Parts: sequence; structure tokens; C-alpha cells
Amino acid sequence: MYTLAWERPNGAHRRSMKKVASQAMGLGLKWLGDVSGAEWLDRYGLRERATQVVERGARAGFRTVQDAGRRFSPLMKLAAPSRLPKPKEPPALFDLTLTDEQQMTCEMLRRFAEDVIRPAAREADDACSTPASLLEASTELGLLEMALPEALGGAGAERSPTTSILALEELAFGDLGVALALYAPLSVVNLLVDFGTQVQQERYLSPLAGAGYVPLALAVTEPTAGFDPWQLRTQATRSGEGWLLSGEKRLVPLGGSAELFVVAARTEAGTPALFLVERTAEGLTVAADPCMGARAADLSLLKLDEVRVTDEARLGGDAGLQAYEALISRAQVGWAAMAVGASRAVLEYVIPYCNERIAFGEPITNRQSVAFAIADIALEIDGMRLLTQRAASRAERHEDFRREAYLAALQAGEKGMQIGSQGVQLLGGHGFTKEHPVELWYRHLRAISLCHGTLYV
Amino acid sequence: MKILVAIKRVADPDNANKVKPTADKVDTTGLEWKPNPFDEYALETALRLTENGKNNKVRQGEVVVVTIGNKDTETQLRSALATGADRAIRVEAEDTDLDGRLVAAALKSVVDAEKPDLVLLGKQVVDGDSNSVGQMLAQLLDYPMATFAATIQEEADGRLLVGREVDGGVLSLRLTTPAIITVDLRVVAPTSVYSKHTDAGFKYSDGVRFAALPAIMKAKKKPLDVKALADLAPGKTNGSSYFRFEAPPARAAGVKVPDVATLVNKLATEAKAL
Repeated sequence: MYTLAWERPNGAHRRSMKKVASQAMGLGLKWLGDVSGAEWLDRYGLRERATQVVERGARAGFRTVQDAGRRFSPLMKLAAPSRLPKPKEPPALFDLTLTDEQQMTCEMLRRFAEDVIRPAAREADDACSTPASLLEASTELGLLEMALPEALGGAGAERSPTTSILALEELAFGDLGVALALYAPLSVVNLLVDFGTQVQQERYLSPLAGAGYVPLALAVTEPTAGFDPWQLRTQATRSGEGWLLSGEKRLVPLGGSAELFVVAARTEAGTPALFLVERTAEGLTVAADPCMGARAADLSLLKLDEVRVTDEARLGGDAGLQAYEALISRAQVGWAAMAVGASRAVLEYVIPYCNERIAFGEPITNRQSVAFAIADIALEIDGMRLLTQRAASRAERHEDFRREAYLAALQAGEKGMQIGSQGVQLLGGHGFTKEHPVELWYRHLRAISLCHGTLYV
Repeated sequence: MKILVAIKRVADPDNANKVKPTADKVDTTGLEWKPNPFDEYALETALRLTENGKNNKVRQGEVVVVTIGNKDTETQLRSALATGADRAIRVEAEDTDLDGRLVAAALKSVVDAEKPDLVLLGKQVVDGDSNSVGQMLAQLLDYPMATFAATIQEEADGRLLVGREVDGGVLSLRLTTPAIITVDLRVVAPTSVYSKHTDAGFKYSDGVRFAALPAIMKAKKKPLDVKALADLAPGKTNGSSYFRFEAPPARAAGVKVPDVATLVNKLATEAKAL
């Protein structure tokens, strides 16, 4: 029961819940009436304004009552249904439609991933290196040719980070470790194409065209707790005309074979810079450092003990800081793309598995706990991919993409890890065994947020 | 040698479990499309026959691919161009309006215009599985024909030695060109096809080749002509129509038998297989 102050004394009518709404309106009207009659409005010159507000309030308040009795009738004749026109220029957001070339590239790499990478993945993981035959076979795909400008003997026409992440997704769909082994040299090439000086390009890029698979690697991550790429411990000290490099690098791909390392170090000015260090440099030692995942990429520990390099070894010369900034963000985008690929591998594996796995007399996908888990994986992958593509698209348009790259990597790291774990879970006890590849992908997906600066898309 | 390869796009057979038959047609919503696998083998065969295996970037002859389909099927033609074909022809038509006879008639006109030395087709398309176009086309053209080819060797005089796997052995045919060959799965094995330029003993990698990225980028620059079906097969119409589709019946669960004696008994009495 509601008892309200302005009710007439004789209005002891019974109220149902239906009337509550009109009571509320009544309450509003009462207040509105009080307001419009108030003297203080005249005093402050607010009368006219307040009356308008009151009228509007009353109209809105009565709307539901009027609607009930409204009769629709046409007020005009139309020749055809009237619509608002589409924008003349599509908005400058990123476009998710792949070009024909990108689509073909994806299809071709997907087939390569399924037919060539997948069958070799388990053995490569066990051996902590990708078989030479696979690396050689990959050169026929022309990835390197496309990365190199024509002047350097390549066939590249444009630098497209979007195409790069599409390629990385497909390669990592085959196997993330092998993908890293395949893409690590391309990352060095991309970096040199974007920032290398003329002398650096001549020395390191001109011998590459038609040379088959040449192992090259980036070395940024250090063995420190909570590594921050902006707080490098590896030092670059000026020494005469050149530099002395000292420090340790971890999670360096292709440690056993790389002929050239691009090493990140902190200069005396406190800013990071990248140095081209050849394998034969004195004071450089490499030790295998097999990790939990991405093992096919031959992850290694790099020690630099007063490695002397010339000033010409500073990548990009004075544009070194810019190169380093780009590297950090582009590596994040690349790893996010690999997370999408590896996660998709999980998704495409668990769907048929759970449809075929019979428990309690029916496929386990009939259980909501299983079906929902799979649907969540698919949803997260789409989210990860969109973030990654947004970052790549901004990079391609030469817009600032540091924030987008970081978010893509963060999401890919977290969700990728969950997807790997969920994949193992969905396979039950089978997920734990090496009979199925999901445990391998789970291990790969733990690497996403750790390997800083190893890729350059 | 100039080779014409016919290609058809089909719904990805891995997607087939999604196909929902609705009365007189198949619901193709959301299907992924790819080239018919046997047609991909035909293209690989054509490429092997027009090159020296050691230097497969240089084409010793011409490979023209043709498909009959709507604009979307150009994707498959572009893939073929990226893989190594030189030119492409698309005959505008909707797949639902076609049958084998009409396809063969249209292809005959293409052959008349192009005058290839060899026409290569997949032995069948994995959607309709009719296995008829190659044979009909050979009849229309009055060309020598070899179907289900597993090996092809180009001889010095230009004749083609074709191996067909048949029950109990290999049947070898020697064809004079112009000819028609429909290919089977094993034609893409490492030593199945040799042009006269390729050294005996050369080994290809198993299966069809990958399109290299630079070739993918250049595929758009290769010529792709569009022709009208009515011009190629004037007066011809679709002679057959689908009137009902049904999903295959669900397989009944198997039976476990305790011992061999019961198995033999069941085979004899229930399955009547003995």
C-alpha cells in the first residue's frame, strides 16, 4: 500500500500494482506543479525556462498514456522505401577483407603447414631443432624473395605487416616452434630492409637472394626477472671508433646455427640500440637452452664478453632507437599472430576429437561444459585475431601502433595460455600424453609473452 | 607442348558434413571452396609435362586453365595461375545449371579455339562424382583418350606413354596428340610424370607443388578471359536436373562377438557372407 500526501482524504481507493506507474507520474506532476508555482523562479528570472522544462516533463510523462490511444495513419506518400545513404568513402577503419594475393598466400601456407610442418613438428620439438630438409623446402615458398627488395635480388614490392601476420598465423598453425625457426631470419631481413644502412644492406642482405635458408636471429630478451625491453642490462660501451658489448641474452632463436645476431644493448646514453654481431665475433659464446615450448627454434643462451664491433655494426646508425622501438612493437604483433595460429590448431583439433569421443553413451560435445569451452576458444581466437590485425593494419598505414601491439600481445599471451590449457583439458587424460599434439601446443602457447623482440613483421 | 587443363571448384570435402540437403538442392551456405583435388593433380601433371624438373621456373610450352562457373571461381583460376599456369579462361555459368554434356560441349568449343596438344582433366569431380566429362569430350572431339592415368611419359617423338592401374596390373597406352587424359591420384607421385626435357630418374616432391609467394603476387597480371556459355555451347541446355537429395542413412552400430565360432556363425547365417 502506498499512502501519498496529496491524496484527497476521500481517495481511499484501492490500488493495484498496475497503478503504481500512474502514481509515479502523479508524483512527478505534483512536483512539477509545485515548481512552476514557486515564487523563487520569478526572483531569479527562471520562470520561462522552468515552464518549458515543466511542459516537457509533462509531455514525456504522459507519453505512455497517449501511445495507448494513438492511431497510425500515413501523412505522406513515398515512391519507394526511404533509406539513409551509405557513406561515400568507407570509413578509414582497418579493412578485414583479404586481397586475392593474401588469400592465396594463406591457402598456400596453410597447406604447407598441414602437409610439411605438422608431420615434422614432434620430431623437431624432441630434437630442439627444425630439420634442414624442412628449412630448405620452405625456401621454395619465396618468403625471403618477397622480403627482399628487387635491388637486392628479391621480388618484394611492398612491406606489408598484415601479410606477414597472416603468414605467421598459418605457419604457427603448423607448429609455433618451426614457425619461429622459419621467421627468425625473415625478421632480421625485414629489420635490415626497414632500417639497415647502405653498407649493412650490402654486407648482410645482398648475399641472401637465392642462397637458400640462411639462419639469422634477433637477441633481445635477457635472463632477468620480469624482463623489461626498456631496461636492458647488456651494455654497449664506446671504445675507440667502435663498441664493446657485454651481457647475456636468453630465448635467442637458432642459437646453434645463426650466422648473424642482432643484439639489443643499452648505450652509455641510457638508450637501447641494436648491434649486428657476427657469429665469429670474439667473446661471443652460444649455449643451447632448451625451454618448455618453441623448442624447434633451437632457443639458446648468448653470452657477450666484451665483444668488439665497429660503429658500422650499429643497426640503422643514428636511427637505432627508432629501429628498436619498431622491433619491440612488431615482435609483439608477430607473437600475437603466432598465438592465434597455435590456438587455432588447438581449436581445430578439439572439435573433431570431442565430437568423436564417446563418454556415457554420447559424444562429449553433447555436454554443455565441453561445448561451451570450445565455443569460448573460438570466440577468444577471433578477438585475438582482431586485435592483432588492428595493430598490423595501423603499422601498415604508418600510424602509431605501440598501444595496439601491446594490447594484442597481452591478450594473445593470456588467452593463448588459457586456450592451450583448455585444449589439454578437453582431451582429458589424452591431453597429457604425447600421443596427441595438444600438449605440444600448450607448451608453445606458454611462450607468447616471454620471447620479446624475436620477430619483426 | 600446349596443354589445356579443366578445373572445377568444389565444396571442401572436409566440410561435407555440414552440407544440408533441402529437397531438390544442397544448401551451400558457409561452405569453403577449393579446386577439385583431381583437377589439381591434372594441373600438376600439365606443369611437369611442360618443364625440365630441375628448373621448374621455366615453362617449355604453355598451360591454359579453364573453368566453368561464376565470378567466385576466378579464385581457383588465380591459384592455378600462381602455381604456374600461363593463362586462364572462365566460362560464365552457375554450377546448378550445368550437366556433364553441357560442360563437355563448352569445353569442345574451348579446345577448338585453343587447339592444345593435350587436354588434361581430373578423372572425376568429388562433388557430383559423375566421371563423365573427359569421356564425353573425347567423343565430341574424336581424340584418343586415356582415363585414370597414373603415369605419363612424353616420348622423344612427342607421343605420350600412359600407364593406367587396372585390376591385376598396369595397362599401358601410347597416345598420339592431340589427346585427352584424365588423371588419377598416383599421377602426382615423385616419378609419375616425365616431360621429354626432364632427366629420367629425376624425383619430384610428392604431391602438388606450392605456389611461391612471388608467383602469387604476379598471378593477377596473367591474362584471364571470360566467355559466355551460350557462345560456346549454342542451343545446348542442361539435360538433367536434380530432383531430390537425401543424407546417407546413419550407420547402424556394430556387434561385438565373444569368439571366432560366433563370428563365423553370424557371417554365415546373418550376413550370409559365407
